[in-house]
Amino acid sequence: MATVTQIGSGVFRVDDEGRQAVVYVAGAAGDMWAFCDGVIYRERERGEQRMSGTAKARRGDPASYQMAAPMPATVVRVLVSTGQSVRKGDTLVLLEAMKMELPIRAPADAVVKAINCREGELVQPDMTLVDLA
Amino acid sequence: MITRLLIANRGEIALRIIRACSELGVESVAVYSDPDARAPHVNAADRSVHIGPPPAVDSYLSTTRLLDAVRASGADAVHPGYGFLSENGAFAEACEKAGIVFVGPPSAVITQMGSKIAARRLMQAAGVPIVPGETPQDQSDAGVLAALDRVGFPALVKASAGGGGKGMRRVDEQSQALEAIQAARREADSAFGDGSLYVERLIERPRHVEVQVFADNHDHVVHLFERECSVQRRHQKVIEESPSLVVTPRLRSRITEAAVQAARACGYRNAGTIEFLVDVSAGRGAERFYFLEMNTRLQVEHPVTEQITGLDLVRAQILVASGEPLPWQSPWITQRGHAIEARVYAEDPSSGFLPQAGRLLLYREPRMPGIRIDSGVEEGSDVPVHYDPLLAKVIATAATRDEATTRLICALRAFPILGVQTNIPFLLRILEHPRFRSGEIDTGFLDNEGASIAGTAPPQIPAAVRAAIDAAATAHGPRPTSHEPRATDHKPRQDPWEVLASWRP
Repeated sequence: MATVTQIGSGVFRVDDEGRQAVVYVAGAAGDMWAFCDGVIYRERERGEQRMSGTAKARRGDPASYQMAAPMPATVVRVLVSTGQSVRKGDTLVLLEAMKMELPIRAPADAVVKAINCREGELVQPDMTLVDLA
Repeated sequence: MITRLLIANRGEIALRIIRACSELGVESVAVYSDPDARAPHVNAADRSVHIGPPPAVDSYLSTTRLLDAVRASGADAVHPGYGFLSENGAFAEACEKAGIVFVGPPSAVITQMGSKIAARRLMQAAGVPIVPGETPQDQSDAGVLAALDRVGFPALVKASAGGGGKGMRRVDEQSQALEAIQAARREADSAFGDGSLYVERLIERPRHVEVQVFADNHDHVVHLFERECSVQRRHQKVIEESPSLVVTPRLRSRITEAAVQAARACGYRNAGTIEFLVDVSAGRGAERFYFLEMNTRLQVEHPVTEQITGLDLVRAQILVASGEPLPWQSPWITQRGHAIEARVYAEDPSSGFLPQAGRLLLYREPRMPGIRIDSGVEEGSDVPVHYDPLLAKVIATAATRDEATTRLICALRAFPILGVQTNIPFLLRILEHPRFRSGEIDTGFLDNEGASIAGTAPPQIPAAVRAAIDAAATAHGPRPTSHEPRATDHKPRQDPWEVLASWRP
């Protein structure tokens, strides 16, 4: 049985059968961060899990995707137009953030239903940039 | 002597320069954009001037706003740091014209060495070996394509105006060339405001070895030995060290001599770095090196040189810019022990190294023997989306490479940063990698081994960590919901949970 002792703000010592570990913890319920021995842990509640991709399947319609920016970014180029068919992996929109280009690629073969961003626009991660179906 | 120095930069390098000012009794002036109003570099300076909105083009990259800040603060000198305007000849020239001391080389040297074609011509004339390549006269897609054919494949397409790997693309065959040219041009244009491209032959499996040089106005040019920076990810340095394992005493004397020759040939002044590609494929004793480029500024990795020489490069920069002779001379500049630097970035290696923005909920720098940390953030700092996501540089110094590597590993294992993803686990996997430990690395090391080192799956939470998370949740009682402001934070800023809650797949 492990014993946990708080030894500082956000710092815990965990004693487990004679072995000790120092664990750093921060965050709020639903999104907790921890660090122990060079490894970063993050625990998020279901529904808030962010994946490395940027496509979100619309509920009940697995063949449609809303493509969003993974982070606040500037739209460098919009490479598709409404009604266009795209193949999986095609670049739809080119973003730039922190001096790096971030291509937004099609997660599957699809048709562009709507484009909701313009070149030069600063976009936020909660905005849908391109609707695919 | 400079009396009031404006630092046209932010983050760790601004702090580094401010500390040198304090030691020299020079007044420091920080500049800041809106999101940096409470940044550590602003708090540490003697004075500070607001220079504009968040985008770098309207603040840290704006010559007009920076010159206004110089006038408003009464500064008599400007230190550009690295990045931003540090290698912008027009900015240095504007300072010169306004009678302000620019801590760096003369503007004409920046412009000359910043142009790859002019730099190569000069090096060739000075007898320094160069890699086949050219800046096409015809910068159209067709013109650059033709130039690629002339230098041969594999080749590199890169920004003619810049360094640091921005706007650089590898092209293995003609069919990939067009896309690479267009992408490189866009990145070059947005990073440097100049879309001109340079193409060159790619030397396979080279080592990146650079030589620190320093020159004053009294005809002294010295070198401060080499740094090896072969651990790079897409041409961005990740780990830097000195001495280099592949630099034998004989190669050291050849390569440092070439570097000093290069600095003399361009009329260099202040701190600079000559980067070389070293081809070791012909075996020990038959190494060949080629001039890659010159960085006409202080480098991110300058602490590595400071650690092995025991010298203060930033202090010397300010003295030399004030017209004083170099504080050291070559016979007694020595290389002692081994130093390794790791760059800690707010980026997520498991999702394509996506830069991370957000608040540092917990940030505790380790304190241990032989560890130096140059950082620009503190617990509670916000990492803005607009700038380079470098948080800290951790530099380990010890008697040998092996000891220094172990020391760096121990420091990174004891460096908790929570609230944004960092590359610390990635850095640890590099430092523990058998190829790194044995020194069998070249500039392609990370790009080839990258997938296994980057890590993809989030780590399983072990029992001890689970116990601590549960204890933390209990200790703090019920938490506010994600859309309510959090009351415990000491800085009345935008609530981080609101920002995080809007992140989504």
